[in-house]
Amino acid sequence: MKLMCKYFISIFLLFVFVDGFSQQQKKDTLATSKDSIVYKSPYGIRVGIDISKPILSSISNSYSGLELVGDYRISKKFYIAAEVGFEEETTQEDFTNSTSKGNYIRLGFNYNAYENWLDMNNEIFAGYRYGFSFFDQTLNSYTPNVVRGQDNGIPYFPVITNTIGSTTSLNAHWSEFVVGFKAETFKNLFISVSGSYKILMSAKEPDNFQTLYSPGFNQIFESGTGFGFNYTISYLIPFTKK
Amino acid sequence: MRKIVVLLFLSIIIYTACEKDDFCTQNPVTPNLVLEFYDANNRETLKNATSLYIWAENAQENDSIFENISANSLILPLNQFATETVYNFSQNDVVNQFTIKYTTEDVYVSRSCGFRVIFNDVSFESDNAWISSITPQTLTTIDNQNETHVQIFH
Repeated sequence: MKLMCKYFISIFLLFVFVDGFSQQQKKDTLATSKDSIVYKSPYGIRVGIDISKPILSSISNSYSGLELVGDYRISKKFYIAAEVGFEEETTQEDFTNSTSKGNYIRLGFNYNAYENWLDMNNEIFAGYRYGFSFFDQTLNSYTPNVVRGQDNGIPYFPVITNTIGSTTSLNAHWSEFVVGFKAETFKNLFISVSGSYKILMSAKEPDNFQTLYSPGFNQIFESGTGFGFNYTISYLIPFTKK
Repeated sequence: MRKIVVLLFLSIIIYTACEKDDFCTQNPVTPNLVLEFYDANNRETLKNATSLYIWAENAQENDSIFENISANSLILPLNQFATETVYNFSQNDVVNQFTIKYTTEDVYVSRSCGFRVIFNDVSFESDNAWISSITPQTLTTIDNQNETHVQIFH
């Protein structure tokens, strides 16, 4: 009887281990099955348009512009991105009135820092762009600054505005740091909002005047820095899924 | 979605809040003519011109720029849209015409200040009614008003 008990106890003990092993085994199979479900994300070219520029063009009579955007996914996190556009803007200052008109291109990349759930394709991205523009700036008219005295009194002699309309071909180079996000609203259709900080690298200056506005860069101030915003709608043409 | 709306709203605020940040602090931008009155007998000492009325031909509404003043130093604007400015200096109803001839040049300063006018090849003439002499007769340029451009002896 005593031996019998011992026997049963050993058997049970054995089962404890067996049970333990089988548990272990089960866990393993579960893990491998989870691994086998991989959500593939689409790779392809994405093309779109900046919607803020046509809206601005329609409400402002001193501005018109159009910008096409595109990016191409090269790895899980990286996208090559580019924007091309046309802008025309009339800058009215206190003493000068000038128009800049021309084209620009911005080239660079985006890094997607957002971990998507399941099969979602959203992005919170940061990126860099190199910008280049070539444009004509026309000094439409200017009024010589003959403001009198500390209290900005009326000039003693009549003031006449010079209309000359001299045009110079100019160009500008700049760097941009971009942050923004993209959301897939419908399948393959993305809306995106992004902001950028721009640093002017060089701008060709006209004789006896100044480059006040560059397409793609916006107003050029003394500091040579500026901000830009993009609101885009784009469509993804998927090539493969990885 | 709410996040997007908030961000969009914020961006629009930032966009429209970008007001111009430079103001023209230079004053005056276009230089005026600086003249000083000296004693004709003692050419080293300043002498006040008293009860002086000054007006220019072709000024806005032909107003006097100074009325009944007493000064030994004056700042007068030059007509930037002409090649000469004629000032009438009236002292005790004696009118002395003072003519400044020049060529103008518009020089760009900055976004906020715009263009200023500098005056080149300047020459001074006086019909010597109560002014006895002036010096110098010519100046190459007036591009600032840090120092006196012309001395008037009376």
